[in-house]
Amino acid sequence: MRISPGALLVLIAVSIPFIVQSRTVAAFIGLDMSVWQMIALGTVTISAIILWAVWPEKWLPGRPKLEEG
Amino acid sequence: MTTYIERFPAEARVIRSTFFTAFIALGIGALFGLLQVLHRTDVHRLVDSADYYHILTIHGVLLALTFTIFFLAGVFTWGLTTSLDRGVVDVRFTWAWYGLMVGGTALAAIPMFGGLIDGIDMSAGVLFTFYAPLQAHPLFYLGLALFIIGTWLAGADWIWTYLAWRRENPDERIPLPTFMVLTTTLFWYLSSLGVAIAVVVFLLPWSLGLLEQVNPLLTRTLFWYFGHPVVYFWLMPTYMLWYVLLPKVAGGKLFSDPLARVVFVLFLLLSTPTGIHHQYLDPGIAEGFKFIAMTNTMFLLLPSLLTAFTVVASVEHGARQRGGTGYLGWLGALPWRDPVFTGMALAGLMFAAAGFSGMVNAGMNINYLVHNTFWIVGHFHLTVGTAVALTFMAVTYWLLPQITGKPIWSRSVGLAQVVTWFVGMTLMSNAMHRGGLSGVPRRTAEPQYENFDFTPAFGTMAELDAGVVIGGSLLFLSAVLFLGNVFVSLTGGKDLTSIPENAYAEALSGAEDGPLILDNLKLWLVIAVLLVVLTYALPIGAIIDRGGLLGPGGSPYPLVVESGRAISIGLGEVVA
Ligand code: HEM
Ligand SMILES: [Cu+2]
Repeated sequence: MRISPGALLVLIAVSIPFIVQSRTVAAFIGLDMSVWQMIALGTVTISAIILWAVWPEKWLPGRPKLEEG
Repeated sequence: MTTYIERFPAEARVIRSTFFTAFIALGIGALFGLLQVLHRTDVHRLVDSADYYHILTIHGVLLALTFTIFFLAGVFTWGLTTSLDRGVVDVRFTWAWYGLMVGGTALAAIPMFGGLIDGIDMSAGVLFTFYAPLQAHPLFYLGLALFIIGTWLAGADWIWTYLAWRRENPDERIPLPTFMVLTTTLFWYLSSLGVAIAVVVFLLPWSLGLLEQVNPLLTRTLFWYFGHPVVYFWLMPTYMLWYVLLPKVAGGKLFSDPLARVVFVLFLLLSTPTGIHHQYLDPGIAEGFKFIAMTNTMFLLLPSLLTAFTVVASVEHGARQRGGTGYLGWLGALPWRDPVFTGMALAGLMFAAAGFSGMVNAGMNINYLVHNTFWIVGHFHLTVGTAVALTFMAVTYWLLPQITGKPIWSRSVGLAQVVTWFVGMTLMSNAMHRGGLSGVPRRTAEPQYENFDFTPAFGTMAELDAGVVIGGSLLFLSAVLFLGNVFVSLTGGKDLTSIPENAYAEALSGAEDGPLILDNLKLWLVIAVLLVVLTYALPIGAIIDRGGLLGPGGSPYPLVVESGRAISIGLGEVVA
């Protein structure tokens, strides 16, 4: 794990307002996103966060080491 | 290692009582919040729509006044005694103000709940803003008056204890938490005077039939004279906890003690002469006065921005003490599993969002777009409903063991609880803001009218309703988790060894780095009074001059008002 489970939980929670507001931003630039598209985007985002968090750091050689929490 | 209850057993007992009273209010208030959400969206209507205001009054009063003020009275008593390292002068006096506050609340609650019960011929569906022309049963106003007097006595208790400490320590700087308690108490006296006058001089005699009528604009103005500062009565204890407890649980120190003092002095000065920003749409108040209120409001952003800076700097210091490095990498080093820390951090984050919608409210011209719409409800559920309420719930996980000697039953449930609140509020508040932008009114049992559809800027009304219902249900669930956790903790046994020492964060730059004048509370109070007189004398004078003390055509009471003297009476009203 790259970050502690607690930090992961909070990161997911904090991503939710961004996902919800992504629809507002999209509408602002003329893109009509449906609720289902937003939920799909959210699922992808949160999955990516989880994947990033649980991916062992040493499997990514050459990347600067991120701090453990 | 000593916990609070070992050091101050008598005070701990009072604080426990204030907290439990607050939690009962929170439970009932949250349940009624859920009812409102279901009612407005027509998912389920438990009461008749004609009774909706009784529900909404109970929700508003119990959460915005009872829950918050009982809790903060406990927090202030904790902060004062801990930082002075001294008990209150006479704990019987402490019980007296607590008793008066409870008595007042109970009296007001009789007509508030009476409105929902068929056999009882009393009601108080006047909402938590209770200005005319809505009228409640006299018991409601009497209860309010007693409650306010109770808070004044609480303030007197804190000042009395401070003065006793001062005699014992003539040369020391005021400890930071005590400084915060004192500045808050002073502006609370200044601002609650307005609502006390409204209740005792106008609304109570009017509800008793002693007065035939009142001047609605005057009672509104007197309410908002108090109605904005009351926001800071909730926020200052919250800020105090962010300043003195958050850095501690983050493992660090407060960035700057003098900066924190500056912030509290600014709040003392500026929080009262801004209330007219709630009346941008009131006819009868000249634009110029509204403009002054707007300017003061924008100045008020300064102490909040200073707070954001200081608190984040302190938390970063804590993270680096714990081994965090990098530009953002330090964030990972924070104690995210601790509901005390995470709850306060998420509350602070939501408060930042609230700052943005607050600026929209504060702007005179854009306010016209959102005034009295669901947007406003979305806004203050981020401020008092999250920044304050979530902070109070989070610190309960720290303070409850201190005042009971019993550890929290489950910190994991606590973590789930604070995160659920954050997510629920994200959904509910976003939908409320967006609904408001498309014109959905607040304080309405059935916001949908026949032959008319609200058209949100994008998406559909049904989606917004779903956001409110799902968000509101998550919030209710979170409140249940919180109260359940508290309840189970209380049924457990004492275990003092597992509880951290009662202490608060030290400062990187301590009080000695700040000029002495910061502690000159008399000076700041005088300036605060002057500012209030400057902003309020003319508008109140004009309102009385134009509409009469008791409204057009009202018989003069208790003094004869002539045009020319109105201003001086307005003045007297404010300073008296
Ligand atoms: C379970 C969580 C909550 C839910 C579901 C909820 C829901 C609501 C809703 C839907 C309204 C608007 C009703 C209308 O305008 O018709 C409302 C109003 C209000 N809420 Fe909440 N709320 C919750 C928690 C809180 C908290 C924690 C506070 C403050 C500490 C709070 C303070 C208020 C106030 C002051 C009003 C305005 C009442 C009025 O317009 O007179 N609420 N709430
Ligand atoms: Cu305000």
